[in-house]
Amino acid sequence: MSVTTDAAAARPAAEVRLPGVGLFAGGLTALLALIVGIPLLMVVLMSLRTGFPGEGGPLTLTNFAAVYSNSGTYKVLGNTLLFATGTVFVALLFAVPLVWLLMRTDLPFKGAIYVLMTVGILIPVFLRTIAWILLLSPRIGLVNQWARQLFGMEQPLLSLYNIPGMAVIQGVSFVPSAFFMLAAAYRTMDPALEEAAYTSGVSKLQTFLRINVPITLPAIAGVMVYLFMTAIAVFEVPAIIGYPARIIVLSALIFTSTNPPTGLPNYGLAGAYGAVMLAAGLLLAYFYVRLVQHGKKYTVITGRGYRPREIALGRWKWAALAFALLYLAMEVFIPFLVLVWVSLLPHLQVPSAEAFAQVSLENFRHIFDHVGALPFVNTAILMFVVPTVTMVLSVLVSWIVVRTNVSFRGALDTLAFLPHAIPGILLAVGLAYLGLAYRSWFPVYGTVAIIAIAHTITWIAYGTRTTNGVMIQVHRELEEAGKVSGASTRTVLGRIVLPLIAAGIFNSWIWISMLSYREVTMALTLGTRKNVVISTIVWQFWGNGWVPQVAALGVVLVLFAVIVVGGLKIAFGHLGEWQS
Amino acid sequence: MKSHAAVLAAAAFLLHCATLAAAPIDDLVAKAKKEGTLELLAPSTLGPQGAQALAAAFNKKYGLNAKVNYSPSNNMVGDVAKVVTQEAAGARPEWDVMVVTDAHHATLWLRKLHQPFHYAKLGVDPRWVQYDNGTVIMANQFVYPAYNKTALSDKDVPKRWEDLLDRKWKGGKLGMSTTTHHLARLAAGSWGEQRTTEFVKALAKQDLVLGTMGALYTRLQTGEILAIATLTDSYINTAKKAGAPIIHADKIEPVVSPAYNAGVPKGATDPNTGALFAIFLTTVEGQNLWEQYGGQTSAFIPGTTAYKYAQGKKVLYMKPEQAETIDRLSTDYGKILGFQ
Repeated sequence: MSVTTDAAAARPAAEVRLPGVGLFAGGLTALLALIVGIPLLMVVLMSLRTGFPGEGGPLTLTNFAAVYSNSGTYKVLGNTLLFATGTVFVALLFAVPLVWLLMRTDLPFKGAIYVLMTVGILIPVFLRTIAWILLLSPRIGLVNQWARQLFGMEQPLLSLYNIPGMAVIQGVSFVPSAFFMLAAAYRTMDPALEEAAYTSGVSKLQTFLRINVPITLPAIAGVMVYLFMTAIAVFEVPAIIGYPARIIVLSALIFTSTNPPTGLPNYGLAGAYGAVMLAAGLLLAYFYVRLVQHGKKYTVITGRGYRPREIALGRWKWAALAFALLYLAMEVFIPFLVLVWVSLLPHLQVPSAEAFAQVSLENFRHIFDHVGALPFVNTAILMFVVPTVTMVLSVLVSWIVVRTNVSFRGALDTLAFLPHAIPGILLAVGLAYLGLAYRSWFPVYGTVAIIAIAHTITWIAYGTRTTNGVMIQVHRELEEAGKVSGASTRTVLGRIVLPLIAAGIFNSWIWISMLSYREVTMALTLGTRKNVVISTIVWQFWGNGWVPQVAALGVVLVLFAVIVVGGLKIAFGHLGEWQS
Repeated sequence: MKSHAAVLAAAAFLLHCATLAAAPIDDLVAKAKKEGTLELLAPSTLGPQGAQALAAAFNKKYGLNAKVNYSPSNNMVGDVAKVVTQEAAGARPEWDVMVVTDAHHATLWLRKLHQPFHYAKLGVDPRWVQYDNGTVIMANQFVYPAYNKTALSDKDVPKRWEDLLDRKWKGGKLGMSTTTHHLARLAAGSWGEQRTTEFVKALAKQDLVLGTMGALYTRLQTGEILAIATLTDSYINTAKKAGAPIIHADKIEPVVSPAYNAGVPKGATDPNTGALFAIFLTTVEGQNLWEQYGGQTSAFIPGTTAYKYAQGKKVLYMKPEQAETIDRLSTDYGKILGFQ
């Protein structure tokens, strides 16, 4: 994500000049323009139409008039801005120190922390939110009950039914994403500046704040754009915490416009609401690109060989570990404990002697009755197809951007970054509209393919940032040697470049696979009976009131994830980020 | 000889009658045998085990081997909206048979989105056939406010609908689900539109906790909210099975009684299997299984649990001529309550 955002500009002088490369790059640019542009075009089109998809009709500004003449819209925009900003703040508050601690210091138990962070991703946000309700609900929350008993407080000590509460829960759930996106920047950072600071007697904290943070600012800015756009698009926490308290955010409005709780869908309104989201995304993307263009001073890959030295934390070691454990408690331990507790009960209840008497494994026995095989099959398809297609496209894009002299490589790089600025829900609504209104041209509505397309478009930005980064690190001499020996471009790419960047690609593949597994907003927006996936099942179970059953499913999934992630770590421990 | 001839003639006549009577359903069974998997949308409270039991009995009764895919519905508005949207786009509906309430079928009926079958000719009591042969009534729900009996004292249990407007419910203690058609039925029935709309507006000022019925049911179990303005008996049955302390405030009248109707959406992939399944749900086997798993029976069949329960109570049933009013008011009340 990080160091390579200006990859086209930062590329070394020697470049591949090959006949046909321009044509290939042109084709790839056109493909990306199509897959990114068409859903956006659909959003614009639907915002200018009334009626259902496929009904046609004249273009009109009615939807914009309805949306932007309503004062409620501005309240929603304000809520959205506060929620998204708060979410990004909370996520970075944890992620930046954590990534520094895990990538640059001698923090104990790094391997275990790394695996637990990965496992945390697999606990559905819904279930994590339910856990926090059981802890912090004003009326039944255990923390508030204890506070009443201990201090005789009449009012609840804490409540999560407000924007800060929503931001904390959502922000903590974003930490792994931010962490893995920043990891490459911190891992590959040239330690010369840090070492100079230490030699000059600057403290570790000051070095972190005045060297590490500024030097990775483009990376952090990229993560901020990504998190902000994700935060304005997610709707799990807004649905569970915000909606009951009437804190409505933009994503909820767009979702309920196309999936209304009462009445019929209004895609036109969804488009009009989405326009402001899109404008915000493009504006952010613009500022981000500007920042990167001015950011050559931030270049941290020097080309010379080095191996970052681990910083000894000394007496701060245990404080740092406590910080990591605090995060893990919020992200993994507490939610998982609650998950286990709920999964053993016949109905949801706070811990009590009576509740303990009802504990059984009954919900585990009926998991497959409630779920069936289809969501697992569809999820497995997504977890394989989405990262594979994304990484193939990413490698091709990065190869052109980093390794060739094609004149429009900068435009291609920006195009590949653009999905970062498009909220997932908007992309999904655009694809749904396309699938419904133009079924004969795009006959994938209701299939798992349409979700795979949405996920691929969304994460191609992440994929290309990673592949740009790893490709820059591969020295050109090897490719040149291959060319001198008579190898074709395809052979050089397949036999030299790919093996060298395999570790980075594998890391990204795994990460995108997990993101695809847990993504719910797009999958729900595009969901039908036939393309149901595990993440949407969790949402449905919540809607059905089947919380103990979904908790049992969650426990099984988390245990499964621990085994798989742990196994992968052991098997591929020598590769990239799997190395802790 | 003469008597033999008379017996033979009578037998032939009976056989002919039997053939005539049996023919339509046999025809339907034959057509269903040529179709594939049955996509069933039914309330989430039926549960997967209930759907499996119904599927097994359905196949046994008609000699079929149909695979039944059950989609639990927790948002019937959304499911019906999907059918409307997909039809407008020229796509097939996702389901072959939809078991949703009469109010939700009304949305389809008003847009002519049912595939009609001569259900009466197929053996269904004509009194149970609704929406121009589009659906059959197969069960009745009963709707009251519901509360958590461990969290709410007896004196606070509402005795009238208007009790929900008391100040004591302010501040997120009362939930209201997306099933605004429950309130629209009061408007179309004995309360009238003006009184009900005022009631809904006052209700909206109670700082209600909003959500789907299932989500609110979950919050009610934990005691996070103390009551829900309207909850169907399906959830009360579920709570009873799980030992959750959720019960109806069943002294309140009028009792709202949405009917579950089964109908085939226009353009369904396997319409004949869908129609046959709808018919099956009205048979003794279907009714017994639905009662066992879903918890309801038809209030129009003498002797059923629902029929007995409704005796002596002021029960509001929806009539097809109220469809337009209920459809309109459901949306309007959704806006007033803050769902849109």
